Amino acid sequence: MTKQPIPKFPKAQQISFLKKLHVDGQTLLLSVVFIVLLLFFSVAVQKFFTPRSITSMAFQLPELGILSLAMMITILCGGINLSVNATSNLAAVVAGLFLTRMVPTNLDPGLMGFYVILAFVIAILIGFLCGILNGIMVGYIGVPPILATLATFTFFTGISTGLTKGVTVTGFPESVSIIGSKTIAGVPIPFVIFVLLTVLTYIILNHTPFGFKTRMIGTNPIAAEFSAVDNRKVLLGVYVLSGILSSVTGILVMSRTMSAAYEYGTTTYVLLTILISVLAGVIPGFGKVIDIFIAVLILQVLSTGFHMLLTGIRGSSFFRDFAWGVLLILIFIVNYFVRGRSRTD
Amino acid sequence: MLDKIRYKRLFRSNEFVIFLILLGLSLTIGIINPAFFTVSTLFDTLRSSIVFLILAYGLLPIVIAGGIDISFVAIAATTSYATHMFLLNQGYEGGVFLYYLIAGVAGIFAGLLNAFLVTRFKLPIFDVSLAMFTMWYGFNLFFVGATANFSLPKGTVGFYNIFILTAQDPNVGETGLHVSVLLALGLGLFVWWFLKYTTLGRGVYAIGGNREVAIRSGFSIQSIFFVIFGMMGLFSAIAGVTQAFLSRYFNPVIFITQPLDVLAAIILGGAAITGGSGSIVGTTLGVLVIQVINRALILTGIPVEWQRFVVGVILILFTSIPALRKLRAKRMGHSNLVQSE
Repeated sequence: MTKQPIPKFPKAQQISFLKKLHVDGQTLLLSVVFIVLLLFFSVAVQKFFTPRSITSMAFQLPELGILSLAMMITILCGGINLSVNATSNLAAVVAGLFLTRMVPTNLDPGLMGFYVILAFVIAILIGFLCGILNGIMVGYIGVPPILATLATFTFFTGISTGLTKGVTVTGFPESVSIIGSKTIAGVPIPFVIFVLLTVLTYIILNHTPFGFKTRMIGTNPIAAEFSAVDNRKVLLGVYVLSGILSSVTGILVMSRTMSAAYEYGTTTYVLLTILISVLAGVIPGFGKVIDIFIAVLILQVLSTGFHMLLTGIRGSSFFRDFAWGVLLILIFIVNYFVRGRSRTD
Repeated sequence: MLDKIRYKRLFRSNEFVIFLILLGLSLTIGIINPAFFTVSTLFDTLRSSIVFLILAYGLLPIVIAGGIDISFVAIAATTSYATHMFLLNQGYEGGVFLYYLIAGVAGIFAGLLNAFLVTRFKLPIFDVSLAMFTMWYGFNLFFVGATANFSLPKGTVGFYNIFILTAQDPNVGETGLHVSVLLALGLGLFVWWFLKYTTLGRGVYAIGGNREVAIRSGFSIQSIFFVIFGMMGLFSAIAGVTQAFLSRYFNPVIFITQPLDVLAAIILGGAAITGGSGSIVGTTLGVLVIQVINRALILTGIPVEWQRFVVGVILILFTSIPALRKLRAKRMGHSNLVQSE
């Protein structure tokens, strides 16, 4: 998306303690911002640092977090996926329609669990198919990713709208809500899934040939092609992975809200995931999964914090958006001065 | 001989392909429903295209320079809505000119702020615009107001039906072409002239083509960015005010879902997302194609809930056609053609 100068080779003394822990400037800066915000809101709002509010945050953030992972991997290979949210909604809508229309009414309650799991598998299959379509358009046909995924965004939303006739799908069996409302050893299940997928994405990107090729294509697609990388195949893989991650979000939304709608989060979710990737410093070829994780935490703390701080004032969520923009600019500027010392231009 | 080459180049150009797409689309819809071929449909399509054309003309130089900006919609919303609330508080009763003036100046400053952040701190254009997008909409909704406002000053009420051309339509009676079409036309001509005949304009292409080479050739990145971002802010403000007067109310979140649609229209019109190419004619055709798709579906009798699906299918086909042409040219070994596009 943007051209970035090639980073200078790090000085010897910089490869020290922090480097061993894989902590670089960006991660450090984000962690500091996160801790400062956490301290600020804990002091400013009494209810903020309580088990209850932390649990509720842990239920809310995985949806956006997993979508951000889906967005991040496409940015890493030099693309973008504007259809993440549309994919997630389509997966939820199809799984929801399966549960409400295809399950026989006089069903043995013991078999219900089987049908629910089948519905989740269908949702992931939909994410897979959506990813295939994006991957073919971007990788094999060569449509610019922003155009291709904007087209599929309209297409997927169109299918959801048509299938549901614009009505929210409700009336799922009770067992669907387990994922979205229960905890494992006190930790909400969505958060556990988010952490697992973060680790999985980290392993795929940093410890497999596929991840290495993804970065290569992001840095220089022509060089990658001449290094015997099949760009088309790798791009297809990236968009399929992105689609599958998106469909997991669809399952979480479906389970938490016990409904599926074609329009869930359409106006803001896509831009928020890009925002998180930008905050995490993800650019084609470079970017770390852990930074995405911290960036998602920052967004959630800001969101919940301002909501509690401004309770009773009209439109507090608008102030959060304003603060979010200002914070982003400030982080960019701080980053510039931190980087600036090691740069000559 | 020279003419032959010139024609060949014309037929192979992206603008020509988009023009054919527009033509084919219009014919198909016209065959399904002859009501499409009426003056009133033409005027309506143009009327709904006006603001998107203005927004796209403002964004085009930035895309050519290799940047992607999405904050222009937030600038449009904030400048137009804040200007309106300010003038309403002052008890203003005059015409539309003051609206354009105040919003335009505010828009220029908002655009310059983007340019300052981009050049002073060496930040990516897209990153800055994303922050500004969130910031301006948040600012508008929290500090200025969060509800649509329908009370227009007396002097501006008649503006929505000042026509430059009127025609009799057998179905809807008298119908007209709104005067702001001239505004879009004028701004389009201005950007065309700027990009083609000014040193700064040529510099925009140079930056998008190869930034390092542009700097070495003596183009000042800073001054070019300040000019094109100022223009973007100005055009956005004009588009915001125009949209408000055409629809007769001021909306604080206007265009919030549309930044990527405008960008897509520009890319569809042949501009490279990586910068260095793009034209006013292509952008105009790109906007018109998307407007025709959106308007025409109502006339084709497709059920409402499936219309978005059809738009999606059409978009997938139309974005793939130019890419497939490029792919074919590459396979057949016309690498020079790929280069020149």
